[in-house]
Amino acid sequence: MSTHLDRRDLLKLLSATALAMPLQLKAAGIDKLYFTADEFALLDVLTEHIIPRDKHSPGAHDAEVAAYIDRAVAESFLPEEKQSWNKGLAEIDRLSIETHKRPFLKTSKSEQVALLKKLAEPDDDSKTDGEKFFQKLKSAAVFGYYTTSIGIHQDIEYQGNIIQEQFAGYDAV
Amino acid sequence: MLLQFPGPNPNEVDLSPTYDAVVVGSGAAGGMAAYVLTTHGFKVLLLEAGKYQDTSKILHSMEWPYDHPRRGRMPSDHHALTLNEYNVRDLPYAQNSPYNKVQSYVQGWSGTDYSKTLVVDEKQNPYTGTRYAWVRARAVGGKTNIWGRLALRLSDYDFKAKDRDGYGENWPISYADIEPYYDKVDLYLGISGHPEHLPYLPDSKFQRPVKLTYSEMHLRETLKGMGRVLTPYRAGVTTDGLKHNKYRSRCYGRGACDRHVGGCDIHAAFDSPTGLIRPAWDTGNLTMRTNATVYEVTVDKDSGKATGVSFLDSETKKSYQVKAKTVILAASTLESARLLLLSKSSLYPNGIGNSSGHVGHNFCEHMMGPSVSGFMKELVGKPKTNDDGRPGGFYVPRFRNLDGKKSDFLRGYGYEGSSGTTMLPSTAYSTPGFGEEFKKHVREYAGATIEMGAFGEVLPRYENYVEIDPNVKDAWGVPVLRFSYKFGENEQKMAKDMAIAGREMFEAAKFEVLSTSNEMLPEGWSIHELGTARMGNDPKTSVVNQFQQCHDVKNLLVVDGSTHVNASCQNPTWTIMALCWRSCDHLADQLQKGEV
Repeated sequence: MSTHLDRRDLLKLLSATALAMPLQLKAAGIDKLYFTADEFALLDVLTEHIIPRDKHSPGAHDAEVAAYIDRAVAESFLPEEKQSWNKGLAEIDRLSIETHKRPFLKTSKSEQVALLKKLAEPDDDSKTDGEKFFQKLKSAAVFGYYTTSIGIHQDIEYQGNIIQEQFAGYDAV
Repeated sequence: MLLQFPGPNPNEVDLSPTYDAVVVGSGAAGGMAAYVLTTHGFKVLLLEAGKYQDTSKILHSMEWPYDHPRRGRMPSDHHALTLNEYNVRDLPYAQNSPYNKVQSYVQGWSGTDYSKTLVVDEKQNPYTGTRYAWVRARAVGGKTNIWGRLALRLSDYDFKAKDRDGYGENWPISYADIEPYYDKVDLYLGISGHPEHLPYLPDSKFQRPVKLTYSEMHLRETLKGMGRVLTPYRAGVTTDGLKHNKYRSRCYGRGACDRHVGGCDIHAAFDSPTGLIRPAWDTGNLTMRTNATVYEVTVDKDSGKATGVSFLDSETKKSYQVKAKTVILAASTLESARLLLLSKSSLYPNGIGNSSGHVGHNFCEHMMGPSVSGFMKELVGKPKTNDDGRPGGFYVPRFRNLDGKKSDFLRGYGYEGSSGTTMLPSTAYSTPGFGEEFKKHVREYAGATIEMGAFGEVLPRYENYVEIDPNVKDAWGVPVLRFSYKFGENEQKMAKDMAIAGREMFEAAKFEVLSTSNEMLPEGWSIHELGTARMGNDPKTSVVNQFQQCHDVKNLLVVDGSTHVNASCQNPTWTIMALCWRSCDHLADQLQKGEV
């Protein structure tokens, strides 16, 4: 019996080690606080679809809305709340495969918009899982975007939160 | 040398003297009682169930949301009860909750990282019975740390309401009795507003008023034509400063109050700790004992008089007794009623001060829910102005059942509103769709929106009451309140009218109406509970006299909202303080003469 590992054994051993060390890969910056790298990429594209960059101001991607949501979900207290995000993102891909034969990020921009439009404008009041998730996602994107410097100062051009000697506005007469 | 505020550790406070007065609760009422009596030279012990928390350490009013790790929100193991939970869950609301801390719905507002240690934990403070959204703050200053600041006077339309429509009881005082005390409160604490000369909403001694936005000016003009009034928010805020109070700054229009659950770290907005308690402290006559959960008023069996109170240290749960010549309850409408009912003895088998059987009854408040929101077309897409840099928006005083035509319901309601750009645009959640069009819509409409919500008088009814639950206790082992309280037919009719009138006013102003609601929010939502120990001349139908002394026990006073005979539709804080000042002046006189 040989005491030397042949090349094939060595590769086996290395891949087993890699599988056993996902945490170290996370530390290398591939996965985020909560979401996997793939989930995060999907979340980033989805939020940018909801609040995109336009001529006036940068959008959700530049405002790092996905990173905010990642942090908020990572800090969520209830496990079911965390899981609802994985399920929701998986549902988006499932619907995309069902409609366009490919996961969401592999479809064209117009296919992506078409799918989200269906989720944003339900035909009736009874909401599907996809529609419910879209509402949750939109709500998180709205809070995540309009509480950033980009949202407050560049997009809304909010003028307040300053010290004023006099109030602004009109005198009641 | 005077002790530095807030004094020694709670368990080192000297409880051995017989104080002139022991005051239970440190909010608007308790702070006022402490201030008035200490300035008259009396030795006062102020007991507060919560802790002293320095606002400047817990409220970072000008911090941008993106500079806070949770964008201003409380930690995720805290849970704010939702509207739906009040509607569907059985009480106590926090039972079986997986969260570490469960708080009332106000913790669902923005900026709640501030108030997370002020508002009580529902797990520690349960209650039972009918649906009720009860908001309590246990901390020095109580709910004045989070209040909405609208500071209104009542009038004889309220004090003598029975004379006008035959319902309920008149107050044992008239406007002329309390007017000098409203003036004192105005001048001592500061109030912002614009005089309108309305007999049903008397003017205060106003400091600099807040200004109105373009759409609010337009609505004001429109309402004038309808015989109605839109006036700048009458805020219990000093806008010109107070030379006599070094703890408070004037308002600098930062608009921070509406981005948090109330609260003002420069104390331009009134709060009891800086407005009343610190001035009381500086007299050298005040002793403050925090972490003191009072559970009983003690009685002398021979004289029937109150001798003091018993309390538990809120942390160690160790029991203490203190003695005082007078006992003053200011624990809030429902907590003061609870204390009266808990204080049973052979002399007072139904609870102290309760020979009438009215303690806990005639419970009333303000009903909320009906509202209207819309926008002013001319403002869509216009450059942004600073619209929320002020301590409040506008107020539309009552216009129903005054001197003309009568409605199919009794009494009235007012509307509170605001308009224009807020830091987080109010329409962002309700604007449909997504993408460039959605984003543009939110941006362009952000400065054009205007909205208002009604506050209506809930009639006092004997049938609406709280009592002691014989089975359920709070975290300190003190029996809790059980609610039997529901809105009635008058409130339902009023709610319908509120929604119709709201839409009518917006349409008259040619605003595009986005939505109206005629749905009443759950009981308790206004945080204006009143009436559970009402004042009156007849000891058979009231609990306290016009000076808020118990008919049965003259050295026991109740000085908070529980003594109000009806709710009016005007916010109660200023009236609570004016009445308390009047009663404590009267008490001081009696103490000097040795009459109590």
